Amino acid sequence: MSHSTLGLICLLAPLTAFFTALVGFRNNHRAAMATVLLSGLASALCALLLLAQHSPQPELVTRSWIHAGGVDIYFGLLLDGKTLIMGAVVAVITLCIQTYSLNYMATDPGRGRFFAFLALFEWAMLCFVYSPSLMQTFVFWELVGLASFFLIGFWYSKPSAVAAAKKAFIMTRIGDVGLFIGLILLFQSTHTLDILRLNATHFETTRIELITLLLFVGIVGKSAQFPLHTWLPDAMEGPTPVSALLHSATMVAAGVFLFARFHNLFMQAELTLTIVLCIATFTAVLSSTMAMVAKDMKRVLAYSSISQLGFMLMGLGAGSLFAGYFHLVTHAVFKALLFLCAGAYIHHYETNDIIAIGRAGGRKLRIVTAGLVIGGAALAGLPPLAGFFSKELIIGSLGHGHPRIFVIGALLASFMTAYYTFRMIFLVTRPNADSEASPDQEAPDHEADDHHAEGSLLPTHAPIVLLTLGAIGLGFLGDSIARLLGQSAHHPALAEMAPAIGVACFGVLLAWLDFGRSAAAQNGFVSRMPAVRRLFEQGWYLDALYKKLFVGLAQAIAGLLFGLENRGFDGGADGIASGTRAAGRTAAKAQTGRLQLYIGTSILLFAAAALYIGLGASR
Amino acid sequence: MSDMPILSIILLAPLVAFLITVVLPEAQTQLIKIINAVAGLTTLVLALVVWASYDKDLGGYQMIEDVPWVPDFGIHYTVAVDGISVVLTMLTAIVFLTGVLSMWTLEKRVKEYFAFMGLLVFGVFGVFISLDIFVFFFFYEVAVLPMYPLIAIWGSTRKEYSAMKLTIFLMVGSALLFPGLIALFVESGGHTWNLVALSQAGTFSESTQIFIYPFLYIGFGILAGMWPFHSWSPTGHVAAPTAVSMLHAGVLMKLGAFGILRIAIGVLPLGAAYWAPTFAVLATIGIVYGAFVAMRQTDFKYVIGFSSVSHMGIVLLGLNTLGVDGVNGAVFQMFAHGIMTALFFSAVGFIYDQTHDRDIRHFGGLVGQIPVATSFFILAALCGMGVPGFASFWAELLVFIEAIRVFPVLGMVAIVGLVFTAAYVLRVLGLAIFGPKNSDWDELVEPTPFLSIPRIMLIAVLLFFGFVPSLMVDMISSATHIFSAAGASL
Repeated sequence: MSHSTLGLICLLAPLTAFFTALVGFRNNHRAAMATVLLSGLASALCALLLLAQHSPQPELVTRSWIHAGGVDIYFGLLLDGKTLIMGAVVAVITLCIQTYSLNYMATDPGRGRFFAFLALFEWAMLCFVYSPSLMQTFVFWELVGLASFFLIGFWYSKPSAVAAAKKAFIMTRIGDVGLFIGLILLFQSTHTLDILRLNATHFETTRIELITLLLFVGIVGKSAQFPLHTWLPDAMEGPTPVSALLHSATMVAAGVFLFARFHNLFMQAELTLTIVLCIATFTAVLSSTMAMVAKDMKRVLAYSSISQLGFMLMGLGAGSLFAGYFHLVTHAVFKALLFLCAGAYIHHYETNDIIAIGRAGGRKLRIVTAGLVIGGAALAGLPPLAGFFSKELIIGSLGHGHPRIFVIGALLASFMTAYYTFRMIFLVTRPNADSEASPDQEAPDHEADDHHAEGSLLPTHAPIVLLTLGAIGLGFLGDSIARLLGQSAHHPALAEMAPAIGVACFGVLLAWLDFGRSAAAQNGFVSRMPAVRRLFEQGWYLDALYKKLFVGLAQAIAGLLFGLENRGFDGGADGIASGTRAAGRTAAKAQTGRLQLYIGTSILLFAAAALYIGLGASR
Repeated sequence: MSDMPILSIILLAPLVAFLITVVLPEAQTQLIKIINAVAGLTTLVLALVVWASYDKDLGGYQMIEDVPWVPDFGIHYTVAVDGISVVLTMLTAIVFLTGVLSMWTLEKRVKEYFAFMGLLVFGVFGVFISLDIFVFFFFYEVAVLPMYPLIAIWGSTRKEYSAMKLTIFLMVGSALLFPGLIALFVESGGHTWNLVALSQAGTFSESTQIFIYPFLYIGFGILAGMWPFHSWSPTGHVAAPTAVSMLHAGVLMKLGAFGILRIAIGVLPLGAAYWAPTFAVLATIGIVYGAFVAMRQTDFKYVIGFSSVSHMGIVLLGLNTLGVDGVNGAVFQMFAHGIMTALFFSAVGFIYDQTHDRDIRHFGGLVGQIPVATSFFILAALCGMGVPGFASFWAELLVFIEAIRVFPVLGMVAIVGLVFTAAYVLRVLGLAIFGPKNSDWDELVEPTPFLSIPRIMLIAVLLFFGFVPSLMVDMISSATHIFSAAGASL
């Protein structure tokens, strides 16, 4: 099959499945799920075939979408190294998660709808990834956000889920405004939105700095960087497969992908790069601190996602496309794995609390626990797992010609990553009933095994095993990925790697002392400082601050204008109205109703007009 | 086909329906509904024919029919369409048909209701296809006239007050328009009311244009919901019955914007260029203001009413850029907003018919109780937020591209307004559609397949032009090439 056919199948299969599942199979969950799963399989196969048959030159398949005045927008596919890798990652992980959801959502009354929205997400995400023009990128960037809105708020009768969905949509939209203005400015400067042509353009410095900064605002929103990161932890209200797919592996990485897509533009803007590095490093450190004290397993992973996205942006901002992009790929795999493991625990023990899961016997789920340990080790950057290679490259790239502070920040974040990851692992695998740790929520007391006896465990375990293999092996594919991206893989020397390995091992060791060894108090070093613990637990009080400051401000303005509308405009109009009515009553006593008043006035006006015209014509 | 007076047939179809309805006995409600539906279907089919047979490459006014009416005063019955009229005729036909179908369950004074509605639609079609300014104004008044009884008799929530307020505002608008239009006639030498002739460059001196323009802009602008003369429109929407709200917000407000484009800007381009920055500021205020006020409303229809103020602000901002992309976007937005609000009111009307309650705080989790009916509302809400995949996304995009070029600051303010749009839309969804369900409404029933038809039609149109925007933009831009691609320098 030709590449354009493969690409079209890859894009259209999920869209068809979405409509079929949502409208056609509204009352038939089984058929809806089967349709979506089939479409996921088709897309994954096509994406992998496209990747396997890649050609060294970028390929372009396009059709005109809008052509008017000065605007010419088209829709299509761009096949080059960046899109092929990302497309394959998205399609394969989506397939894994759809399979996993067969079990996870098996008893949910809305499972058909759930699968339909997974398909919508896949369609939007793939169209976003393969996009040849910034316009298409933006359109599907928005649609991905829409799918995210519906999936976070999937359990729509839970007020917290609805609030989280709304928050996610509005906060990412703040970023989107930046991206949108950036897009328009870019279009005005170049009269094109073609990604390849834009990347080949050279700009005047101040202009490109403004444009890339605006694009970066969009990235900050989507990839949950400081100061717009607070929506992501709340987004964990969605079902766990959604958190795995959208809010860690793929959708939040869309911002990073956009950066990689426009790497050449960002490279022209010195100032933007510095700002990117500052924000990315700060975010990586900030969110790691929050992960160190969280007790909700999904929240630990969510904070970790924010921090790892910061790492990717650090790599890209430091100028190393390969480092950032490689970390994007490895992170997608091991973080999806971690979320699926978390989901398996949560599903089985009906609690999100890591301490409660550990006490309830979390390690008895052998395959899941193996996945958790391997995925966690990859996240912590322990050799020779996937995360190790990519994180090394990022820290290595920061070492060349950038202020020391960034390397220190990255190492600090790496240390905390290893610490909070192994804190989670030890709390789950080595529970200690006498420890000082107290769960926030207890696991419900029941015979978990017979409760969840329904169905085979294969759909749960197969994706976990597959992703575990990925987390082990993906690190060794660095060279091939670099070649696809047209970059040369840089292999850091052992001496360069030493600090990063050192801090990671130190983090693991500290986690062992605090939580792992049998005499451990299971009360981390942070928790021994109550003020610091509270600060971290409250997310540095940023949420509360935003709520007071921005939400309060918007509501105050709305209230003010609402009052103005009712008293000012409406009141003024009412005054005129009552005056007119009074005048009408006195002046037109002969009139019996308002309709007649109106007609009468109209006739008078027409008569006056006729008179005026007559005078005008005779003049 | 070409020798058939197709435009006149479109124009007469609602009038014929009106006359038959008037003659028929009161009790024949079913027949009256069928006749109006047939009229609606006829106009829709013919509007499609007009769309298909209009030659976009040729552009300009086509299918001209010209009959002298009052030759002494230069008044002719001249109808014709250009790309803009084609689009708006289509809009009117869609909203007419879906409006009739949405009111299929009406039982109170059916005869008068459909009579007034036919008259209103007759006037709207007349405005969109008239080339003679006098006839244009005649139809304009015909369209506005039936609003009073339609609201005062069939409305709800302070209906007489609202009807009165609306009428007074619109009369003030007409009072501004009338001298403006007369002045056009007199100043041009008093021979013709023909739009094309009056639009010839050099007909009016720059100072005349600058003097007359605000009369026309504000006169038409009041009907278009222009800030700060908008307050009649939300109250009117709230009080009006479903199909009237659909026609009112869907089509009638477009008459105002169309008047601005066709007459104010078309005849007085220099005046437009002079006043554009001022009116662009007002339009931008309207966009943000409408969104903020909508954030505090508790009545479904008030939210939609203020969202209309905000969305019509986008239309007016697009028109004031005087650039081809901006005007294309404005006309596209007129169409998209027309279909979208019709869908909004239609969806809310369906809920209100059963509950007689529109306070969003009284609902919750409706999507669990009536998933099909609420999904219509959700889709309209998504369109209102400018989500891609719906027609309004492209319309807003075009307006913003031009606005950033011509008025960078206003453009950015308007784009930031999108955040607040999302905020008020999601607030309604979060309170009424999602969230814990209110078991008071467990008894609600889903629309029958027949009642779903008009809503599905509207959704299909929104999605169709969301996916294939080029069809719409090609049609509009066959009429807007007179605007410069570079913006406000006509």
